[in-house]
Amino acid sequence: MQTVGGQQRNPELRELVVEASLALARLDAERLEELAVCCRALNRGLAGLSGEDRAEFQRQAHGASRDMEVFGRVLAATEAHLEVMNRVHERMRGGLEYAGRRTAWVPWSRTEKCDGNH
Amino acid sequence: MGTISSAFSLISGALNADQSALSIVSSNVANANTPGYTREIPNWQENDPVSINGLECGTGVTQTGATSVRDRILTERLNQQQQMAAASGSRLAALNAIQALFTPDSGSTSSRAGDIGSDITGFFNSLSALEANPTNNALRQQVLSTATTLAGDISNAARMVSTQRAALDQEAAGMVAQVNALTASIAQLNGQIQSTSPGADAGVLEDQRQQDLSKLSQLIGMNQITTENNGLSIATTSGMTLVSGNSNYPMTTGVVNGVTHFFVGTTDITSDLASGGGSLGGYLAARDQDIPQVLNSLDQLAYGISTAINAQNNAGTNLNGVGGTGVNPANPSLDIFNPPVGVTGSAAAMSVLITDPNNIAAAGPAAGSGDDSNTVAMAGLADFAIVNGRSPSNFFSNFVTALGAIVGEVQTENTAQTASVTQLQNQTNALSAVNLNDEAVAMQQLQRSYQAASQVFAILNTIMTSALNLGVQTAVS
Repeated sequence: MQTVGGQQRNPELRELVVEASLALARLDAERLEELAVCCRALNRGLAGLSGEDRAEFQRQAHGASRDMEVFGRVLAATEAHLEVMNRVHERMRGGLEYAGRRTAWVPWSRTEKCDGNH
Repeated sequence: MGTISSAFSLISGALNADQSALSIVSSNVANANTPGYTREIPNWQENDPVSINGLECGTGVTQTGATSVRDRILTERLNQQQQMAAASGSRLAALNAIQALFTPDSGSTSSRAGDIGSDITGFFNSLSALEANPTNNALRQQVLSTATTLAGDISNAARMVSTQRAALDQEAAGMVAQVNALTASIAQLNGQIQSTSPGADAGVLEDQRQQDLSKLSQLIGMNQITTENNGLSIATTSGMTLVSGNSNYPMTTGVVNGVTHFFVGTTDITSDLASGGGSLGGYLAARDQDIPQVLNSLDQLAYGISTAINAQNNAGTNLNGVGGTGVNPANPSLDIFNPPVGVTGSAAAMSVLITDPNNIAAAGPAAGSGDDSNTVAMAGLADFAIVNGRSPSNFFSNFVTALGAIVGEVQTENTAQTASVTQLQNQTNALSAVNLNDEAVAMQQLQRSYQAASQVFAILNTIMTSALNLGVQTAVS
């Protein structure tokens, strides 16, 4: 629900899809989780639609189809990015690209016997 | 050397290393707002162990330099996405400008390309009006007037589209200097990096090279290949080398068939660039694919209308009782429009030839001046498939719809690609830019966003597919 001039209105389906795409582009997980809740509520609400409302929903679905295509492509790109990032992190855990020798954090003293703390 | 000095050495070494590490952190903070700067982390190297009173001890660590936190796979992917987004962005700008030409402007009194649809209707309506009173001079004058408007709008549209093509050509040609400057800079940085840091990250030099690569990605489609000693080769998407080691191979231009072509050495890489990406790719795609299609459609429209109307007018008898070349080949031509010599160039050359309204052959062959049979036939051409298998109005309306569909498609592509670049940029920033947040947080955010978006998409996709295909919504369980 959005408030326009003090009155509440139901956003068009298209607005929902566009907002989801934008939130995904920004990686706004919180907003996307809210939208997922909205979509579940929408899905439940659609079950009891009257004939007229159903026709209106069909019109909105037509209007949102191109934006849905964009959303799908952003989602596909995100999946690819996620895969790349997973690989990057995987590799970084095993040492940096240029590190010929393992340069991860090294303890100040290797032997336990001489630092007096063990 | 089992002495107390060894122990002091161990501690002071550690302190020195810590001090060096702190200077790297300071550098990171100082450069937080420097464009393209990549966060550095200190490299620690274990010192050889020493023996103190029979015990083997480590001598701590030495700070041996810094490594920039960058990942070439990620930056290369970002560059690729930028190439695609830049290409669709520049193509979209060009297409939007073309589409604007064909958008009807109801508020305008002057004739324009957007009015071609109503011009076609107006022309055939004026012929229909003449049917009722074929000898009426005002109605005959009206036919010539609407024909002139139609021909003028079509030829003007062709000229304006050609002007836009010339502007794109100039824009594309102007990018060569920028591309060459960047490839020269990358080649120079390659040389410096290979001589100073052949086996390690080159820090600031690498940052500069990455920045140049990013700028180059905005301009052209390219592939980058990592070579030995930390070098980088750059080639066009079809493999034409632009940079190899410390040498760059500049692009040159030349005019071929009236448009700018692009060369490396003697090889013409124009079509390679057009499909490769970057702004240059987008401009070339619009110049060499989209605009020629638009011009071809206008040519077909002009050719179809001119040829069919001229043939029909020549098949009738004018107000002076003279038949056209279709009735008597010895008679002068009664062509209304400038007769096209072929499809190509018809639109730009379209004009009205006759100035005397009496030369409209309203009557049928050998019929009296009051006859309207030839006018009826001419007016009837409005519904005949005289333009590439379609009626004139239908052809034009299909052309405008197809143009709108291409614009919509490229818009969709650009929106998705721009979003993808934004995402990747965020991830790259988290990983390699100066950022006090742990990149793990960014990674977690990416994962969470993807999962939530997948849920949103799955629900919406199911209910929308259901609504569109069946007209009946089915709830997702």
